[in-house]
Amino acid sequence: MTVGQIPQAVERPRSAARTGTGAVRSGGLPRTSMTARRHRAFYMFTSPWIVGFLLLTVGPMAYALWLSFTTFDGISPNWSFVGLANYRELLADQVTWDSLSRAGVFALTSVPLSIAAGLALAVLVNRPLRARGLWRTLLYLPAVVPPVGAGLVFKALFNRDSGAANGVLNIFGIDAIAWLDDPYARYVILMAVLWGAGNVMIISLAGLQDVPRELHEAARIDGASAWRTFRSVTVPLLSPVLLFQAVTGMIASVQTIMPLLIAANPTPAGVTAIPQTNYMYMMHVFAEYFALGRYGYASALLWVLFVLILIATGLIFKLTSGVVFYNVDPEAKK
Amino acid sequence: MTATIVTPTGKKADADVRVRVRTSRLVLYTVLVAATGLMIGPFGWLIITGLKTTPELAASPVHWLPDRFQWHNFADAFTQIDFLGYARNSLIIALIYATLVTLSSAWVGFGFARLDAPGKKVLFGILLGSMMLPQMITLFPTYLIFAKVGMVDTYWPWVLWGLSAAPYLVFLFRQFFAGMPRELEEAAIIDGCGYATVFWRIFLPQSRPVLAASFVIAFTWSWGDFLAPMLLLSSDRTTLSVAIMTQYVTPGGLPVNNLLAAGSVLYVVPILLIFLVAQRGFVAGMSTTGLK
Repeated sequence: MTVGQIPQAVERPRSAARTGTGAVRSGGLPRTSMTARRHRAFYMFTSPWIVGFLLLTVGPMAYALWLSFTTFDGISPNWSFVGLANYRELLADQVTWDSLSRAGVFALTSVPLSIAAGLALAVLVNRPLRARGLWRTLLYLPAVVPPVGAGLVFKALFNRDSGAANGVLNIFGIDAIAWLDDPYARYVILMAVLWGAGNVMIISLAGLQDVPRELHEAARIDGASAWRTFRSVTVPLLSPVLLFQAVTGMIASVQTIMPLLIAANPTPAGVTAIPQTNYMYMMHVFAEYFALGRYGYASALLWVLFVLILIATGLIFKLTSGVVFYNVDPEAKK
Repeated sequence: MTATIVTPTGKKADADVRVRVRTSRLVLYTVLVAATGLMIGPFGWLIITGLKTTPELAASPVHWLPDRFQWHNFADAFTQIDFLGYARNSLIIALIYATLVTLSSAWVGFGFARLDAPGKKVLFGILLGSMMLPQMITLFPTYLIFAKVGMVDTYWPWVLWGLSAAPYLVFLFRQFFAGMPRELEEAAIIDGCGYATVFWRIFLPQSRPVLAASFVIAFTWSWGDFLAPMLLLSSDRTTLSVAIMTQYVTPGGLPVNNLLAAGSVLYVVPILLIFLVAQRGFVAGMSTTGLK
């Protein structure tokens, strides 16, 4: 009853606006002024975000674009406009390509792994369990820990002398490993990111609870195994949620500061000394800005990354457009 | 192997099913305990590390448990660095940011939910798109601009970030306000109230759960932020997250691992407590924005 009434109620002001233009001549001025008032009010309400977006997002990005064509470093007064020289330099620099491929490998491992782990946890705690709420809370808890906390947790866990990881290895007679150095440091940041898989779990769980139970029951009655039901019913219905996770996870993984947080010296000065395998693209940008102060060159690196992220996001949407299943509820669509 | 069909005659089949249910439940709970151990264990290790002496931390092989729990490490963590001073800085910044961004996001969310104008669709598209904008990418050049206008080492950046609303929270409020009945504002508008009055008097008081969720989410963002305070604030005005990362060191620059661990526990625990208290709204907010 009420569900049917809402779309009607939503329509009403619109039709008032439409007849409003015609009604001016017949003396219906209040109606048009009402519409104008709504328009003005819309911009009054949205202006904080619009102004903020222009000043704190568009402005800085435009400033960085402009800087990327200069040799500006913030100190020397003799900077000059150099056209595409910064871009030519970064393309010719092996560090660009190495750090970029490390970031790519990290995204391609950490994102699928955390989605798989989060989804598995969600399926696990969606079953009838004793004290289900408690399990869910405990599994989600690490996702609430701030990145600084997570970094320090993994630094303690993988410390060469006092870490539990080497303690376990020692039980099996394996020599201590310098986890926080090359070439192992990359696995530590991977594990630190996977530790937050509770985020995917909680969002997938909400999605799982929206999957109509009749679909599962129908599949089981038709003789489908649990795995088959999961693969052919649950995953397709969850696919929009999983796609969202893939996109946001990719963007988050590219800008992770975990390499800095587990570094021996987590300051702008220390970023150049982090282990090679953890020197990913974002760390390179960070180092060029704040360790070396090459604002122009760093801004060129920044813009390249920005464009690459836009392309990657577009690609993910394009590649999955045939696979993702949007279960659009006609009732919910206005 | 396939689904067992319980025949009315077979008592044996009955027992079979019971055994199978019991083993599958055993497997289920084993997996669950293992997963929970992996998630909680690392934090437990941080606490244990915080309770050891420095020689115990240097011992090889690993000293699993301290001989005596060094509870005073947690007290020392307060004095080794100006813990309370940094906590106060973190708190001030988080309160400023969370309060402002919650109000501004509610305000903007109301606009997107209840009003329309030419260009609304495009703006809403930009809003959703900007949720995916990598924040770190904009932070670096933003820092350069803040440095230029003399806002480095002040809390003004957080005021500005707070006033300009966060897309994620705008979306949260927009979803909530869009679900409220149209009659709510119509009567008030016809009575001659402005939209601002309608927002303050009618919509805001109704949205207490969302306000709380938004405040908690924004507070934890700010409390957990590392890069912005590290770049923008000097070492005595900075936040706890930066101080913990950089200041638990000996005069020679070596990390004091037990105090560092104790300090990190003290830094994380308030966030965990806030989460446990506000869990419901927090999770509801997460899943609303994650899904739609």
